[in-house]
Amino acid sequence: MMWPFIARCLEIATILLLAAIGELLNQRSGVINVGIEGLMLLGSAAGFIVALNWGLLPAFIAGTLIGGLFGLIHSILSTSLRVNQVVSGMGIWLFAMGFVTYWADRYSGPLPRGIVSPRIYDLSPMFFIAVAIVVVIWFILSRTHIGLKIKSVGENPLAAEVSGVQVIRIRHICTVIGGILAGLAGAFLSTTYLAGWSHLPTKGLGWIAFALVMFSLWRPWILLSGSLIFGFVWQFAISPETIYAGIPAPLPILRMLPFIATILVLTAISMERFRKRWALSKPESLGEPYIKE
Amino acid sequence: MSRLEALRIKLERVPVLTGRQAVVISLFSIAFSFIIFSIFLFIEGANPIDAYANIFSFAFDPSLGLRTTLHRSLFLLFNTLAFIVPYTARLWNVGMEGQFYLGTIGAFAVAYSFPDLHPAILISLMLASGALFGAGYGALAGYLRGKLNVNEVVGCLMLNNIAFWLVYLLTVGGPWAGIAESTSKPLPQPARAPVIWYTPFTSYLVIAIAIVLFFFLSKSVIGYKIRVLGNSPTAAKHIGISGSRMYILVMTIGGAIAGLSGYHMWAGDPAFYMIPRPEAYKAIGDLTYWGIILGLVCLLNPIAAIPTSIFIGSIIVGATVLVRRLRLPFGLDVLFLGIISITFAAFQFFYLYKIRRMR
Repeated sequence: MMWPFIARCLEIATILLLAAIGELLNQRSGVINVGIEGLMLLGSAAGFIVALNWGLLPAFIAGTLIGGLFGLIHSILSTSLRVNQVVSGMGIWLFAMGFVTYWADRYSGPLPRGIVSPRIYDLSPMFFIAVAIVVVIWFILSRTHIGLKIKSVGENPLAAEVSGVQVIRIRHICTVIGGILAGLAGAFLSTTYLAGWSHLPTKGLGWIAFALVMFSLWRPWILLSGSLIFGFVWQFAISPETIYAGIPAPLPILRMLPFIATILVLTAISMERFRKRWALSKPESLGEPYIKE
Repeated sequence: MSRLEALRIKLERVPVLTGRQAVVISLFSIAFSFIIFSIFLFIEGANPIDAYANIFSFAFDPSLGLRTTLHRSLFLLFNTLAFIVPYTARLWNVGMEGQFYLGTIGAFAVAYSFPDLHPAILISLMLASGALFGAGYGALAGYLRGKLNVNEVVGCLMLNNIAFWLVYLLTVGGPWAGIAESTSKPLPQPARAPVIWYTPFTSYLVIAIAIVLFFFLSKSVIGYKIRVLGNSPTAAKHIGISGSRMYILVMTIGGAIAGLSGYHMWAGDPAFYMIPRPEAYKAIGDLTYWGIILGLVCLLNPIAAIPTSIFIGSIIVGATVLVRRLRLPFGLDVLFLGIISITFAAFQFFYLYKIRRMR
C-alpha cells in the first residue's frame, strides 16, 4: 500500500539526483549554472514533444541533446566569453520559460495511452540509472586522474593550467555534461513522472536540485541521501494522505514544505560547526571566470 | 590578452564602460534579438515588419495599449530598482517575486480590514503595509545572507516559492476567496489607485523613488558605503563597514520597493482590482525577474532604468497582439521576451571586452 508512494518519492529523487549530480560536476570544475531549472524545462518540453511523435527512447535522447546544447551555450558564454555566470544562467532560465511556453503549451495534456514508461514493480528503472551515474561520477571525481584535473580546475585554475591541464576544455566538458543530465532529468519528469505536460511543469524542482548541490558539500554521497530526503518531502507535499489521512494542513502549506526545508538545511549547514567544512569543500574558484593573461 | 590567431582578432579588456557605450551595446543586443525573433515569426508565417509595427503601434496607442504599457513598465521599474539597490552591494536580489507577493498580501490585508476608511488614508496605509511586508521579506533574505551566510540566490528563490503558496493559501478557497473561482474578493472602491494622465499615481511615485535612489546611491554616505562594499568587501571591512548589517539594509530597501509594486500592480489596473487566478498572478510574478536584466543593462543607474523599463514594458504589452490580433500561436509573446533576455545576457560580453582586428 505504501509502495506506490515510495516509488513516486524515488522518482522525484531521480529527477533531483540527475539534475544535481550534473550541477555538482560543473561546479566542481568551477562553473556555477543557475539556469538548471531552465535546462530541465527545455529537456522536459523536448522529451514530451518527441515522445508524442516518436516514442520514449527518442524522447530521452532529445531531452539530453537540448540540455547539452544549452549547457554548451552556458559554458561558451561563461567560460569563453567570461560573462558573469549568474547572468548567463538567469538568461537561459528566462529564455527557457518563454520558449517552452511557446513550444509545448499547445500540446498540454497527458501523454496518450500507448506511451507508457517501463516500470519494474511500479518503479522506473531510471532510478537505478541515476544512482549508477552518481557512482560513476563519484568514482571519476575521487579515484581517477581526470577527477583530480576537474577538481584542480575548480580550485585553482592558474595552478592547473601551469601543470598542463586544459582549464577551458575541462570546464566546457563538465558544463555540457551538467546540461545533458539536467535535460535528461527534465525529459524523465515530463515523460515518466508526470506523463503529460502542463504550463511550466518543473515548479521549482530545479532550484531545489541547485540548493542540494550547495549543501551536499559537493560530495556525491551526501547528494544522494539529500535527494532521497527531498524526494520524500516533495512527494509528501503532493500526496500527504498516503502517510496520514487526516493531515490538518491545507495544500498550499504542504507545498511550501520542500522550500522551507531547503532554507532550514541551508541555515543549519551555515552554523559555526559546519561553516568551516563548508568553506573548505567549496570549490575555490566557483563562479569566477578563468582569464589567461 | 587572448588571441585567436586564425581569425586575426584580439580581445581587449574594457577598463571603464561609459554610459554611451552601454547604450550602443544595448541597442545592438535589441536589434539582434529582433532578428532572432523574426526567424520564429517567419516559421509561423507572419511578416516580421508587420508584426513589429503592430507591437509598437498597439503598445503606444492611447486608445488601446498605452495605459497598460505605462502600468506594466512602471511595475518593472519598481522591480528594477529593487534589484539595483542590493546589487550595488553585489548582492543578487532575485527575490523580487516573493517580495512583490508579500507586498500584495500586506496591501490587501489593510484593504480588506478597513474598507471604509477615507481613500487617502486607506491608500497610504496600503502602500505602507505593502512596503513593510516586502521589506520584511527582503530583510529575511538579507539576514540569511548576512548573518547565516546562506547563498542569496538560493535563499531568495526558496522564499519566492513559499510566497507563491502563501498567496495561494489566502486566495484559493482561503479567507480572501472571492465569488469567482480561484480569485480574491474585489478591492473595495476607495482602495483603488486614482489615475493621473493615463496611469495610476503610483507610477509617479516610482519615478520619484528612482530619482531619490540615484542621489542616495551616488551622493549619500550610506550609498557610498554600499558601493564600497560592492566593489571590495575587503576594503569595506578595513574601513569598518559591517558587511552583514549592510546586506540586511540593502535587501530591506530592495524588498520595500518590490513590496510597493504589489499595490501598484493590482490596484492600478482596472482589469484587476483583485488578486487573479494563481496562473495569472504567477505570470505577473515572473515579470519581476526582468528587474535583474534591466538593472544590469542600465549599469545600476536608477534614472537610466526609467526609459529601459518603458521599452521592455511596451514589448510585454505590445507582443500580446501577436496572439490576439495576428492570431499567432499562444506563447509567442513570452518567447520574444525570452529571446531578449538571453541576448542581453550574451551581450554582457561586450560590457567587458572589445574585439579588435589585428593588422
